[in-house]
Amino acid sequence: MNANKIYPWYFSSGAIVLYLLFIVAPALLGIYYSFTDWNSYSSEKNFIGLEHFRTILAGDPTYLLFIKNTVLFTLVTSIAKTVLGLFLALLLVSGVKAANVHRMIIFSPQVLSFLIVGLVFKSLLDPNNGFVNVTLRSMGLDVLTQNWLGSLTWAMPSIMAVDTWKGMGYIMVLFIAGLLAIPRDYYEAASIDGAGFGQKLFRITIPMLMPTITIATVLNITYGLRVFDAVYVLTNGGPGNATDVINTAVYSSFAKGYWGLGSALSTILFVIMAIISFFIIRLMNRKVEY
Amino acid sequence: MMRKRFLFSLASVLLLSTLLLAGCNSGKSTEGSGKVTLTFGTSQSGIPRTGIMQTMAKEYEQETGIKIDFQVVPDAQWRDLIKVKLASGEAPDIFNVDVDPLSMPANVRPEENAIDLTNEEFTGRMSEEILPTVSHNDKVYGVSFAPTKIWYVYYNKRIFQELGIEPPTSYAEFKAISQKIKDKDIIPFYQAPASGWYQVLPLFETGPNYEQTTAGTYEKLNNNEMKVADMTQLKTVIEQLKEFADLGYFGKDFLSNTVEAGIEAFGQEKAAMLLRVPGTEKEVSEAYPAMKDNMGFFVMPWGDNQTIGVNPGGSAAMFGNKNSKHPEEVLKFFRWITEHDHLQRVFDEGEGNLTICWPEIEPKLTQDYIDYEKNHEKGTVMQAAVKYIDPQWMDIGKDLSGMFAGAMTPDQILQNIDKRRAEQAKVLKDEKWQ
Repeated sequence: MNANKIYPWYFSSGAIVLYLLFIVAPALLGIYYSFTDWNSYSSEKNFIGLEHFRTILAGDPTYLLFIKNTVLFTLVTSIAKTVLGLFLALLLVSGVKAANVHRMIIFSPQVLSFLIVGLVFKSLLDPNNGFVNVTLRSMGLDVLTQNWLGSLTWAMPSIMAVDTWKGMGYIMVLFIAGLLAIPRDYYEAASIDGAGFGQKLFRITIPMLMPTITIATVLNITYGLRVFDAVYVLTNGGPGNATDVINTAVYSSFAKGYWGLGSALSTILFVIMAIISFFIIRLMNRKVEY
Repeated sequence: MMRKRFLFSLASVLLLSTLLLAGCNSGKSTEGSGKVTLTFGTSQSGIPRTGIMQTMAKEYEQETGIKIDFQVVPDAQWRDLIKVKLASGEAPDIFNVDVDPLSMPANVRPEENAIDLTNEEFTGRMSEEILPTVSHNDKVYGVSFAPTKIWYVYYNKRIFQELGIEPPTSYAEFKAISQKIKDKDIIPFYQAPASGWYQVLPLFETGPNYEQTTAGTYEKLNNNEMKVADMTQLKTVIEQLKEFADLGYFGKDFLSNTVEAGIEAFGQEKAAMLLRVPGTEKEVSEAYPAMKDNMGFFVMPWGDNQTIGVNPGGSAAMFGNKNSKHPEEVLKFFRWITEHDHLQRVFDEGEGNLTICWPEIEPKLTQDYIDYEKNHEKGTVMQAAVKYIDPQWMDIGKDLSGMFAGAMTPDQILQNIDKRRAEQAKVLKDEKWQ
């Protein structure tokens, strides 16, 4: 092997070792454990084939509920964050006063830990003394008060709303960057041709923003599928299992000491994410023509 | 030459990684000064909220130079967290675990994880009732201060008097008085599903009633000769809880209630009844002096129960980590804290428990409790006598919350309990489930 071929390996060997040691090996071990009955009650690890996967995908309907909840959460929050992020970005680049201050305020929840956000919203959404219901009552709108985090109907939408509120600022910043990169000439030419706001939006802005929209979608979807903290802090999966998602089930399985089962759930999440990522990457690689 | 250098560099990186990993695993319990620090992991309710254990630990440090570093974790997380910590070799030097004779061996795996205390002088002074909950295969592994636990329904005497109502002796009476209280815009019974475990108490604390009505129930359940789903009385209790919820006897929007807030609701007379343990009077009247001498109690009447459910363990016990770097220091602390005067102090300056599992310490039970216990039969609660109930306590709590919200039926809850029992029996290779 000549020096030119050795050099790249020489310089990247440290990173490769760390990558293999801390990323690849645990991932492969996790997949291996999903085929075993490993648990906290015994030091034995027996190979049991696909039994955990059968339990999750065919044996127990609650796991299918967790998968359904995860997909629903991902879809709704991804769409909501993208639409609201785009709307806010359009608003803030349109010459609104103190745009930078607004931008900072809207982005600020993104830098907070969900632990803090969750505790604050738990307090705000408390059905008895929470700000939301108290405000509604004081306005004579008692009929609109709800048990936001404790009812089957409202718990999941409430988590989605809080997560959207927290994450839309980041998406907005991405869109602002994308919007500022679109040459003004296109809009000027369109104005001369008599195009209205809608035409400019759908014929110029959105097509030119497609790369940013794709990135935002990837980020939203991968975050949505991995969601844990929002659910854990706000409802801990309740009431009942109504808001449980795959990662709260993984946490619960590991916590109970059913490590083989928890690994199998993680493996299923990994497969779902790999499939979605594959299609998104293919979409991203498509050449966009204007 | 180049190849040699490359291999040398690769070997160096591998060596560095190994050292890094070894470094991650090194203990943290010895400070640079040579002073020993023992880590003490516990759930919030594993040690008295008054802080007496922490105060005594500081005095112990002044006496011996051994520091105790308390790591206090919320109740709902600790039960699961300690399992993971034990399995990963990251458990604290001393750890608290809620114990009962059925699940302690599986939860702690004492032969691998706990220091054997059998030959310690203090084990001979613990009550015989508590010993089975901290022992395994004739060896003692844990130290407990826990009283024998009984949950009563506490009621506000003034509200009862004003409404001309008496403590109920059946479910029908319980329902009738609750309606009268509700009519006065007072929450009849404080329920706390947000804490995860509290709403489960009525199901299994009334276990002696099931055993009395159908003798041999516990044994049949342990031998897998009957299912929990076949227990019609248990189903009745669950249905009655649902009925209470639907009738508004737990109040409106009670699903967000926590156990901690119960004292406030009861003390401020927003709620007329709540489930608590003996000694509650002290905690309530300290926070709300107007409540002094205003609290009565009765056995929980769901399922027409009139038997006092007794849990001989059920609370936290301390274990010494067998893999600790300082086993001698751990033993030294156990010996110190179990000296007579120190036990007395834990009892006196704790949260107000009226008994402690050390016969040498005089109980503080009032005549009311002594008389009440004389007039009622007693029995062991279901979670301390039937396998695989206690480990799924929080799961059952979630199911009950689901039922209150309308997502589950009592039958589904019972089926889930059986399903989880079977899961755990399978994991533990229980021959009765093979």
